[in-house]
Amino acid sequence: MTSIGTGYDLSASTYSPDGRIFQVEYANKAVENSGTAIGLRVKDGIVLAVEKIVHSKLLVPDANRRIQSVDKHIGLATSGFQADGRNLASRARDEATSYRDMYRAQSPVKEVVSRLSMYVQAYTLYSSVRPFGVSTIIGGVDSTGPQLFIVEPSGVAYGYFGAAVGKGKQLAKTEIEKLKLAELSTREAVMEAARIIYLVHDDQKEKDFELEMTWIGDETNGLHIPVPKDLHSEAERKAKEALENFE
Amino acid sequence: MSWGRPRNDAVDMFNTYPLNQRAQHGHAHDNFAEGVQRTQQPIVTGTSVLAIKYKDGIMMAADTLASYGSLARFKNIQRLHAVGDTTVIGASGDMSDFQYLQGLLDELVTDEFTAGDGNALAPHEVHEYLARVLYARRSKMNPLWNALLVGGVRDGAPFLGYVDLLGTTYQASTLATGYGAHIALPLLRQAVETREDSLPEDEARRILTESMRVLFYRDARSLNKFQIAKVTAAGVDISEPIVLDTHWSFAEGIRGYGAQTQ
Amino acid sequence: MPDGSFSHPQERQFNPYTENGGTILAIAGADFSVVAGDTRQSEGYSIQTRYAPKVFRLTDRAVLAVNGFAADGNMFVKKVKQRLEWYRHAHAKDMPLRAIARLIQTMLYAQRFFPYYVYNILGGIEEDGTGAVYSFDPVGSYEREACRAAGAAQALVQPFLDNQIYFKNQQAPVGSSHPVHLPLQDVLSIVIDSFTSATERHIEVGDGLEIYVIVAKGRSPQGLESIRNVQELSTNPEGDRVFVIRRELKKD
Repeated sequence: MTSIGTGYDLSASTYSPDGRIFQVEYANKAVENSGTAIGLRVKDGIVLAVEKIVHSKLLVPDANRRIQSVDKHIGLATSGFQADGRNLASRARDEATSYRDMYRAQSPVKEVVSRLSMYVQAYTLYSSVRPFGVSTIIGGVDSTGPQLFIVEPSGVAYGYFGAAVGKGKQLAKTEIEKLKLAELSTREAVMEAARIIYLVHDDQKEKDFELEMTWIGDETNGLHIPVPKDLHSEAERKAKEALENFE
Repeated sequence: MSWGRPRNDAVDMFNTYPLNQRAQHGHAHDNFAEGVQRTQQPIVTGTSVLAIKYKDGIMMAADTLASYGSLARFKNIQRLHAVGDTTVIGASGDMSDFQYLQGLLDELVTDEFTAGDGNALAPHEVHEYLARVLYARRSKMNPLWNALLVGGVRDGAPFLGYVDLLGTTYQASTLATGYGAHIALPLLRQAVETREDSLPEDEARRILTESMRVLFYRDARSLNKFQIAKVTAAGVDISEPIVLDTHWSFAEGIRGYGAQTQ
Repeated sequence: MPDGSFSHPQERQFNPYTENGGTILAIAGADFSVVAGDTRQSEGYSIQTRYAPKVFRLTDRAVLAVNGFAADGNMFVKKVKQRLEWYRHAHAKDMPLRAIARLIQTMLYAQRFFPYYVYNILGGIEEDGTGAVYSFDPVGSYEREACRAAGAAQALVQPFLDNQIYFKNQQAPVGSSHPVHLPLQDVLSIVIDSFTSATERHIEVGDGLEIYVIVAKGRSPQGLESIRNVQELSTNPEGDRVFVIRRELKKD
């Protein structure tokens, strides 16, 4: 860490001489330590999946969800600090609501992403604040079809066919690249998403984890909802099978 | 410090005006206050809404007309509106106020959805909410000029409620707003009361259709095109517009009132 | 003018009030109190519903009847109940009846210049165990009485109560005097007769009758339990007890 001790990493409002903002890079470190989250944009919808590390057996199963709804048709998965993720989701909901109030129509996904990224970016400008320690995958189906984005701690936002953030990001990306996303149905994508999360999970280092999955598509009437129980357990079963064959 | 001195220094720092004249001259006085107008009357209006309980839940009917005074201004307006998966509201009165309420309810339903805890608004909660909103507005002397019916089914229990621009509320197994409360409600009560739990769907539909027909014959602000909404355990279903064929030949024989006096 | 226009500027204002009919009454006994109301809600000549309660249990020893503009009435009851709940959280006990009475006066008078268009009658048991009735006007004037009727048929019922409860225009038999308090069964008969009579003569009264009876702690409910269509609402059968009796009234 060449940045330490130089004094250029004490504030988000200070550049280093070579033009970097170390506070933002540190925020990315917070993301790299967190459970993987992925998003798949396929033929008729979006699938979001998260490897939620369970720190303690005392936690209530299914509590502290890391995938949240922004609007009826938009979902958001975060990797990094959970509390920051909840704040971003809350802001995203407010933006979606303000769009509806103003235009009396469901917000396009890219509009929420654009506004949310400006919010995140503002936290990279001042010495009095800390940048968000989360990377956010936002997926939704609007009038232009399925849309998928990542908003990073810097405030940068790109659109993707497949998205991965968090600890297992690299491996997940390689796996997603092998998929023919444009030909998959959401139902098939659920299976793939589960398989990838199980694959990237490192059971040597980490303890238990929960697979959290939601989807949006024709099968859900355009609503962002959790993958139904039976489909979820089928995907989990197949993921475990695939893992045994893989090794 | 201005302890004991009832004045606002930010408004008149130099005591330009004596205390008793401050309100007329201070910055707090809104020069445009007299230009603010509140709803004194409805403009574009919908007429009656009817609703009944039946075996599987509730059914509601409203025609598709929005009038501008006596002018049949918009002939394909939907006055039945689903709120989530368990509730329907039907509106008579001012259509712009109704659209404003739809906006409020949509936001409420969306907030409930995005909370992601699996809870959704029940029909009686929607009714209570609307009652609060309408009562609060009448108390500001700025009413939302509507009479609304709220119907739905939650956990197997049907609900039917009324709320209007004064915040007046009540529940019953047959309800009607406006002209319908005078012309259709007696018919609905006769057909439905004591049979709420056994009335089959097709008969419920027939009762509402015949009541809408009677209303079309008698209510000059009505249309022979209407929709029926039903709410059952399976959810909300709002029909496509239904057009009634009506017969006016009998009118030739009517004597004694209106233009025809001989 | 003949063309339908007006020669003077006309001002029309939104009227925030209406009248929803119905009648309520309450009678205090020595160690009990009875509060009753019909369940019809109407506007003009239209019956809106045949069941809209006007009598509400506030605590195990207080029952409130509201009559007039139904929207105001429901809102007022809601706010009184909220204040009583806050009192419970602050003091870990129910508010005494006379305190509720004063609270109601304060809440009504707070709206002196935009009043709740509601006549309130509060019935229950005082801290000394006596039956009590308090009646209010819409802006909070109140007094404790032995009986009171209010609402659409007040003019029909109150004179009847004056005669039957206060023994107005009645001569006691020579050598005896009128009783100060009537037994519960007599009071219930008077209440039921009041409402059947009001139903006959007033179009806004009818459909259903709800009679709340509050009996002081440790006192006999005087055969109340065996009466037809009675239901106990009290949370603690050892303390003051609240019952409700439901009866049908004519629906025409």
